[in-house]
Amino acid sequence: MAIGILNDVEIKGIACAVPENARNNEEYCELFGAENVHKFMNMTGIKTRHIALNEQCASDLCYVAAKRLLEKLNWEPASVDALIMITQTPDYAVPATACVLQHRLGLGEDCIAFDVNLGCSAYAYGLWLAGTMLSTQNLNRVLLLLGDTSNYGINPNDSATAMIFGDGGTATALEKSAGKSMKYFLKTKGSGFKTIIVPAGHARSRGKTDIKVSEYELFMNGSEVFSFTITDVPRAIKSFMSHFNIDKNDIDLYVFHQANLFILKHLAKKLNIPMEKLALSIDRYGNTSGESIPLTLVDAFGTEESNGTVKLLLCGFGVGLSWGGVYLEMDKSVCLPMIYTNEYFDGG
Amino acid sequence: MTIQEKLSLLEELLDTEKDTLSEETELNQLSQWDSIAVISLIAMFDETFGKVVTPKEVKSFKIIKDITDKME
Repeated sequence: MAIGILNDVEIKGIACAVPENARNNEEYCELFGAENVHKFMNMTGIKTRHIALNEQCASDLCYVAAKRLLEKLNWEPASVDALIMITQTPDYAVPATACVLQHRLGLGEDCIAFDVNLGCSAYAYGLWLAGTMLSTQNLNRVLLLLGDTSNYGINPNDSATAMIFGDGGTATALEKSAGKSMKYFLKTKGSGFKTIIVPAGHARSRGKTDIKVSEYELFMNGSEVFSFTITDVPRAIKSFMSHFNIDKNDIDLYVFHQANLFILKHLAKKLNIPMEKLALSIDRYGNTSGESIPLTLVDAFGTEESNGTVKLLLCGFGVGLSWGGVYLEMDKSVCLPMIYTNEYFDGG
Repeated sequence: MTIQEKLSLLEELLDTEKDTLSEETELNQLSQWDSIAVISLIAMFDETFGKVVTPKEVKSFKIIKDITDKME
């Protein structure tokens, strides 16, 4: 079972950048009808979302977040041993966006840099990957970047996906730190790979000649995703907590992937979590894919006056199907205030 | 749970007027029978009856009776 402890690892900082451009879902009333839009808003809880400019990539948002974080931590770029970029909206099919960012951030040639293709479960996988590198290898500092511009690649006339996603980029700085640890679990159910999919645009559709435009767009089977989330996810969280004897009353904040409010409320009910212990950013940022957990942490703690240690249970779930969780203690002050930016790379 | 109680629960879930549903009501005839209703129904089975109903099963439902038969 993929469940364990990552020793001598600590999160030193988290930063998040979102596009300045915020869109209110009320703006869709004309297109989809007011009644439908309000029903959607009530169910998903999504009021506004930040949407990237046409020129603005996930990497640009991650770049701004990472740059600010390195400055805040006084980390010399050359001291970063590895950069992991997790995205499903990379700059190019080839090369890896992590290589472009290694260059843009001025990191050294001795820096490991690679991309990972995961969505909603990405933060748990990213923390595990960065944590494993730090606790087992001769590495001291890892920069974990998660970003997506999910609004590009959807059909703007499809009410199932047009009003859900927000764009954002996050940077998490992890460092080797004696005595600190994180606990994790990771799971996969690839039989559900068609539940959330962009069918065309890559090798599987290479030989096809009759590809429809819609096959290049994100398809999501909402009821299948929901069914998976309310059965597999709470079961995994319960068995993770019982494996490590984590008492639910000891958790200060549950930070789950911000899929939609209906799913989050249902999960809270199934796990007997009081709503005040459930972090919510979905109303103002929408579903921001893999970065929704670090974004929500920044939203919750990224204020000047935030400090003190909190016990957190993080859990991401979705596309793959893939899910995973992390339990950790963290000082709230590691979270920088939210960054709003229209910056983008003009050398691409 | 009586039939009347089941129908009331479904009327609330589907946000239809009171006493408008019968066991013979065809789901396709209801404007409220959409993707959100499917998800709400799966949630209701899970929460109220501790039952896992798959989206495939829900898609096979034709009339209200198909739903009420499972509400136990």
